[in-house]
Amino acid sequence: MTKLKADLLQGTLDMLILKALSLGPLHGYGVIQRIRQMSDEMLKVEQGSLYPALYRIEQRGWVSSKWGTNETGRKAKFYMLTKAGQKQLTAEEESCDLPALAIAKVRMVT
Amino acid sequence: MEWLNILIARLRGLLRREAILQDIEEEMRLHVEMEAQTNIERGMKPSDAQAMALRSFGNLGRVKDLAFEIRGGGFMDTIWRDLRYGARMLTKNPGFTVIAVVTLALGIGANTAIFSVVNAVLLRPLPYDESDRLVILNEHTQQFGTMSVSWPDFVDWRAQQTVFDRIGVYNFGNYNLTGSGAPEQLQAAHASADLFATLRAKAALGRTFTDDEDRPGAALSVILSHELWRRRFGGNPNILNQTITLDAGLYTVVGVMPPNFLFPNTPDMWVPVGPLSTQPAWQNRGSHPGLTAIGRLKAGASLEQARAAMNTIAARLEQQYPTNRGVRVQMTPMLETYVGDVSRALWVLLGAVGVVLLIACVNVANLLLARATLRQREMAVRAALGASRWRVTRQLLTESSLLALMGGALGLLLAKLCIKLILIVNPDSIPRADEINLDGRVLTFTLAVSLLTGIIFGIAPAVQTSRVDVQAMLKETARSMTGGRRWLRHILVITEIALTLVLLVGAGLLLRSFYRLQQSNLGFGAEHVLSFRVNLPPQKYPGEQQKINFFHQVMENLRSQPGVQEVAIASRAPLGNIGQWQPQFLPDGQPLPESGQAPSMEATVVSPAYFRALAIPLLRGRYFAEQDNRLDVREETLQGLTPAQRLMAGLKVMIVDEEFARRHWPNEDAVGKRVLFGRGPSAPVATVVGVVGRVKLDGPTEDSDRVQGYFPYLQVPANAMTFTVKTAVEPEGLIAAARQQVLTTDSEQPISQIRTFTQMRAAAVAPQRLNLLLLGLFAAVALLLALVGIYGVMSYAVTQRTHEIGLRMALGAQRSDVLKLMIRVGMTLALAGVLLGLGGALALTRLMKTLLFSVSATDPLTFAVVTFLLTGVALLACIVPALRAMKVDPMVALRFD
Repeated sequence: MTKLKADLLQGTLDMLILKALSLGPLHGYGVIQRIRQMSDEMLKVEQGSLYPALYRIEQRGWVSSKWGTNETGRKAKFYMLTKAGQKQLTAEEESCDLPALAIAKVRMVT
Repeated sequence: MEWLNILIARLRGLLRREAILQDIEEEMRLHVEMEAQTNIERGMKPSDAQAMALRSFGNLGRVKDLAFEIRGGGFMDTIWRDLRYGARMLTKNPGFTVIAVVTLALGIGANTAIFSVVNAVLLRPLPYDESDRLVILNEHTQQFGTMSVSWPDFVDWRAQQTVFDRIGVYNFGNYNLTGSGAPEQLQAAHASADLFATLRAKAALGRTFTDDEDRPGAALSVILSHELWRRRFGGNPNILNQTITLDAGLYTVVGVMPPNFLFPNTPDMWVPVGPLSTQPAWQNRGSHPGLTAIGRLKAGASLEQARAAMNTIAARLEQQYPTNRGVRVQMTPMLETYVGDVSRALWVLLGAVGVVLLIACVNVANLLLARATLRQREMAVRAALGASRWRVTRQLLTESSLLALMGGALGLLLAKLCIKLILIVNPDSIPRADEINLDGRVLTFTLAVSLLTGIIFGIAPAVQTSRVDVQAMLKETARSMTGGRRWLRHILVITEIALTLVLLVGAGLLLRSFYRLQQSNLGFGAEHVLSFRVNLPPQKYPGEQQKINFFHQVMENLRSQPGVQEVAIASRAPLGNIGQWQPQFLPDGQPLPESGQAPSMEATVVSPAYFRALAIPLLRGRYFAEQDNRLDVREETLQGLTPAQRLMAGLKVMIVDEEFARRHWPNEDAVGKRVLFGRGPSAPVATVVGVVGRVKLDGPTEDSDRVQGYFPYLQVPANAMTFTVKTAVEPEGLIAAARQQVLTTDSEQPISQIRTFTQMRAAAVAPQRLNLLLLGLFAAVALLLALVGIYGVMSYAVTQRTHEIGLRMALGAQRSDVLKLMIRVGMTLALAGVLLGLGGALALTRLMKTLLFSVSATDPLTFAVVTFLLTGVALLACIVPALRAMKVDPMVALRFD
């Protein structure tokens, strides 16, 4: 993979995460699940690539995180979309064709 | 704004390292557990579920690392860790650290000290608004060089010029303050009103002069300096509009200047030019009463344009007035007039101190290289664990920078001490000395120099150290690896020795020069002479006889004091900086020289005992005597004459110096010849009655070309005279008596500028002394560092060669052979360094030519002595390690691997 493609894919992953969170707060595991749902099982995000991506967008201020408990009562860290993140998502959605990208199977290697 | 978020996140990452690592750990773990749970729900066995979850996650460790890279402190974290590691390494080796830090502190501290002087004197603008626009103006002729300005010329300049915003003028005078406390002589600056406007200076109290006060006939007013106001008038806020008595005249105080306004030359007060401009010395266009003009260039006008414009005006005046033949305008930027003399010396010192720093760097670099061998194992382990060479090098450079910064901090303290020392020892040699401090620019300089130093001495050792031959390491034959390093260390030592030689030569030349200066013949005896100045106010002593009586009385009284051998007075004493008078003259019967300008002489009015008091030898004829007086001058003939003319009316005889006689009457006896002072039948004429030796009027380094002449006091009684008292005992002891005698004769007459000739002579060479002290100090530090450096390298060489030495001894070499071997090794280095240094010194010392006095920049004696000295020191440094080599036990050495 050329670097350009990697950047593109990284950006796409960020958008997917933002999109997943736009429907409500989730923990990391939940984000993976939701992306699979959103793409009709076509996009399976590598577990190893998720967290670096999450941390990156958290650093940029697009999501915020908080420890809480999940549906089974386990401790988990939840991520929520921030206003900035919402703005970023709307801007991206208007400019690029997310559904078209969803056709390709997104598989990133760390 | 995003970068700000990231920066904050990085900082947080830096500070909460552990917490973040734990947070990542926990989140990953819980994720895996959730996946395991899902697997169990799908029907896997619990143990398999966990393993499956872990596997599908990917490389957990790698992800954690990646996560921390994003969330952690980033490069700041790396630097922080490097710093901590470096600090730990340094504290583990306190001996090395202390030596390195002290060495660096010496180098950096010296640089900071000198730079702060350079900063205050040369770099910082003067404390006036837009001071780079201010220029000093003088008049200038081809024949006489720079002269002061004449008042009518200044008035015309001011009227006709177009290149200056404002232009003002000033000269100096003395006034006796009487009436409110002990009488005191004060230094005053006569200032035109636009002087203050040119400098854009405002009074702290009251006002500065108005243009009205520039006119003759204006009421007498005065502006006090802040210091005078505080000291003499108690800082009284109601001082305005009060009158003070100066030279028996009443002056109204109209203002007080702020504490930092000291222009020109830190006067006690300012007096307007108006009342003085009526004096003949001012009215006469050809006479130059010591006025200097200062102008502020208009915005957009360059110095060159201004110079051209003013010279056009000067040329116009030359056409109109015969007195202005050949007169042009000389313009110098104001800063240059303050510091011109010292800038060369300062740059030389800065260069020297830079060399010292280089030497210090070399020493520390060598220390680091020596330590490199000891750290081989550490480096090998790190390499094996996957640290890249760049990473290791970076960490080593961090260590060097840490050393350098510590050296810099200690150096700052040393610099502060050094500055204090310089100011105590020699405040007057450095202009603007009160402005020297460690300000922002100096601190930045220190920081930059420290970091640069750290890189300079750190880079070679860091690169060397990080190079690891893992194979050789594992085979544990550590010592065989040093082959490649040896030449580097040797090159460093050779450089060090060369640099030290250059510095030593410089210091040696200055030393020789200073010695010559001290020994130089001044033409008169400067031992045991006390001098002080008395200024008789003209209003109180209008008549010639009154002045003569006063001085006669005081001289008689002083002569009868115990311990006094001879008392004399002179209008201008040698080494004193006051009373200069350069009248033009023409030997009788000789034509004007081609330039059309009559020559001028340094004139001094003296009492008969003057030559005896100062042991100035008589070459022909006679000294002055009591009969050389003006008793036959009748009062009627003096009617209608100006004060200056009255004064010269009594002149009948003079004494000339040997140069005068040689130049104007080359093959004849000067005694009996006549000299004219002016043109026309009523011009003063003097007959030469004696020829005396030439005297250095300004100090040992003086090179004035003018001839010297003397007038008898009894014929030309001036108001302001310097007493020169030759004493049998230490002159200081007679100061009280002198003051007392003057007060007895006139209770309102103060004395001023009380000094011994020995003090004045020392003051005259103070700048050279300071240069010598500083350069000598730097050379000494360099020598010490070089000594340590050579010792270190030799010591190390011996350790390296222990095996080889053991081998040689086993094969039959004597201990003395070993000694000779080591000494030969060391001295080869030293000699190479010395030769290189000699070359460098020959090339560089010409830069200090202007600092030397009657010593050539390639003086062979100095070069020879320094070479011997340095070679001797190098030998000394080699001997101890060589002796150690001698003591090697071959049995132990051969087993020592």
